[in-house]
Amino acid sequence: MSASGLDARVTGQLRYAVDAERPGMLHAAFVRSPHAHARVVSIDATAVGADCVALTGEDVADLRRYGCQVRDEHVLAAVARHVGDVVAAVAAPTPRAAREAADRVEVRYEELPAVYDPVEAVEPGAPLLHPDGAHSAGEAVSIGVRPLAGTNACHRFRLVHGDVAAGFGDAEVVVQRAYRTPSAAHAPMEPHAAVAEWEDERLTIWTGTQTPFNLRADLAVAFGLDEERIRIVGGTMGGSFGAKTFVRQEAVLAALARKAGRPVKVVLDRAEEFVTLNRHPSVIRVRLGARRDGSLVAKELDCWVDTGAYADCGPGVATKLGYAGVGPYRIPHVRVDALAIYTNLPPNGAYRGYGAMQSIWASERTMDVLAAEVDLSPLELRRRNLLRDGDRFATGEVMHDVQFERCLQAAADAVDYERDPRGKGLCVLLKGMQTPSRAAISVQRAPVGYVIHTAATEMGQGMRRSLQLLGAELLGCEPGQIEIAAPDTDTSPYDTRTTSSRTTHMMGRALEEAVRDLRTNSNERGYGEIRNEGGLDPDSGQGIASTHWHQGAAAARVTVDEETGKLTVDHLHGVAYAGRIVNPEGAALQNEGALLMGLGTTLFEAIEFADGQVANANLSDYNLPATGDLPTRFTHEIIEREGADVHGLGETVLPPVPAAIGNALFSLGLDVAELPISAERVLAAVDARRERS
Amino acid sequence: MNVALELNGRSVGLECEPDEMLLAVLRREGLRSVRATCGIGVCGACTVLVDGEPVSGCLMLAALSAGRRVTTVEGLSSADPVPRAFVEAHAYQCGWCTPGFILTAKALLADNPDPSEAEIGEALGGNLCRCGSYVEIVAAIRRAAAELAGGALRQ
Repeated sequence: MSASGLDARVTGQLRYAVDAERPGMLHAAFVRSPHAHARVVSIDATAVGADCVALTGEDVADLRRYGCQVRDEHVLAAVARHVGDVVAAVAAPTPRAAREAADRVEVRYEELPAVYDPVEAVEPGAPLLHPDGAHSAGEAVSIGVRPLAGTNACHRFRLVHGDVAAGFGDAEVVVQRAYRTPSAAHAPMEPHAAVAEWEDERLTIWTGTQTPFNLRADLAVAFGLDEERIRIVGGTMGGSFGAKTFVRQEAVLAALARKAGRPVKVVLDRAEEFVTLNRHPSVIRVRLGARRDGSLVAKELDCWVDTGAYADCGPGVATKLGYAGVGPYRIPHVRVDALAIYTNLPPNGAYRGYGAMQSIWASERTMDVLAAEVDLSPLELRRRNLLRDGDRFATGEVMHDVQFERCLQAAADAVDYERDPRGKGLCVLLKGMQTPSRAAISVQRAPVGYVIHTAATEMGQGMRRSLQLLGAELLGCEPGQIEIAAPDTDTSPYDTRTTSSRTTHMMGRALEEAVRDLRTNSNERGYGEIRNEGGLDPDSGQGIASTHWHQGAAAARVTVDEETGKLTVDHLHGVAYAGRIVNPEGAALQNEGALLMGLGTTLFEAIEFADGQVANANLSDYNLPATGDLPTRFTHEIIEREGADVHGLGETVLPPVPAAIGNALFSLGLDVAELPISAERVLAAVDARRERS
Repeated sequence: MNVALELNGRSVGLECEPDEMLLAVLRREGLRSVRATCGIGVCGACTVLVDGEPVSGCLMLAALSAGRRVTTVEGLSSADPVPRAFVEAHAYQCGWCTPGFILTAKALLADNPDPSEAEIGEALGGNLCRCGSYVEIVAAIRRAAAELAGGALRQ
């Protein structure tokens, strides 16, 4: 709120990381590799100017490799592994002077062979990105990483349930298909930005991040510091969608500030955003076996997940992609093999849905192919196989509060699917939440109400409003009497991170504990903490994938101009299971936003590469959905259940959109296996149908 | 060079370089609602009104604002129905793009007090919201139109 009493978002008073300033600060510009794979031979920074500070390899010789799941990243790259890899940096009095000085840094490279496709990258003889074996499991953080030695696979996730060979032996119908998804840009409106400052050998960074404590831990590794000597202060982000996770611009910036002896700020430009963090491209092969009556008996998924030049959270993404691809079905025999693979593309990381979209696209498209083979309605085929309360999922988990059929039926009804399924498509999904994890929060009495301290971060998803509403209900006050302090690792209790739609679910319950503590101990301050235990064995895929499940569905109705290939989405409907809604307006906005991002993914969003160089690194050549792209009918619903837990819903309805639209095309005989579904691909499908008939 | 203009209702002289864009100069003046985002005039997050017309601050040389009337959301009255309608319709998530949408909406409503949803969609073609709050943004503009018309609208 501002002085006028209006929300700071409309008065322009809201401040973001790009607005952070420190007295005497300099501005940074990064020197980036123009090559996809090249060894730095020499750097000459003598021409930067007397009022500038240049950071090169020797300045970071004492710093160590870091990485959230695999320690394979360097503060400055001595070997550039993607176009845009940072090899040097400059600080100067103004952003413009910094850019000009960075352009005067001369770097000589020795080019190395490069690979840009995840399938080619694991073939024998492919150039290795990390030949020194940086990806040892012993260095892995937070998940059990299984690298394949001597290859570009930094992680292999396998799930084995039943006996898949025997299962296919029992199958009366088998379909096998392969699907591809491209890289995509998170494209938050606010670019990555931060200020770093050293004082008394203590580092403070003001930055837009979803992961304050993970960032602190990784920087502690890189700089060889105790975590307590690093302070991360977050603020509102102008969007993130997974882009502002783990270490991005912060490590180079901190090293530059250390050398400069002054605070340094950086704001990335739009082209730099396209080489900072993107979505994992994938190739997914699905084999699905069933009896003639449509009961599923066996499923195999082989997934090549392109994590780019550095692992980042690629192992986690490959894992979630792998088990989400099983789908919300009872299948007695399942085998999943998902590889996170290095290529010479910019690093890929968390992207709203965390890999689920890629495998759900493949898996749910295959369901409709099978439905045609066994001559069942795609709706009926799904119904016959959906998980129900008490069933075991392929990970061995027993499912509770199961709402898949309700979600699917609601989606089907929204487009009147049962009356006439032509031109219509459905998709139903299961998606996990970060497990294990920990969420802690404190609530303190204040003169006008309460102050909540939490490391949960706001990026537009409505975290602050949700905690205010939950707090008001628990404390018996008005939401406006609760202040949510900015995330600060010095003062906020620990939180794993603001990802995987976990905050309302986890922090909400931690807040209940904190309020109970405040009351029972009559303290000035109450503290609450929730842990969810679990995790999957990476070699068998057995264990606890998620302590609560995101459940949803989507339906689409389309028309196609078969002369031009133009695909029109006449109606898109998304369904998410919320358990209990906390913030109705925020929930609607998140649901609509996820659907619309799914629509962009389906119809036009793709980063195009030419020899590893981004060919559309701007918002004119890389299109984002605009008002005019809204489908003719654009609807959604959020399902509640009396007495249910609060479920997260920030991502749920993005992953099902591509398959719902792809299946709508398939109902017209148009079979598209690669995203996005461009006019060219629709026309190719029209030609292929003509050839078949 | 020094450029004299009317900025948010006040006559001011702004120091700037001859090749500097209006966006950079306004931010230096502390008007942080004008936000560098795409750099090429396609996203609308640095929209300002110049003599009432929406303009991308990243494309207009600051020098060309001489003698003109420049408005940012910092210059809107707290009673202005357009930002109020955005609040009432919850027409934002992260809020980064919101000032640009508000100013584009003000220009639209000045030209066309009773726009249809299609006309609103067309007018918003140069404003992007990556959070995807368009349904609420369109509703906010309809709400502001109704407010401005005293509740008497054709559509």
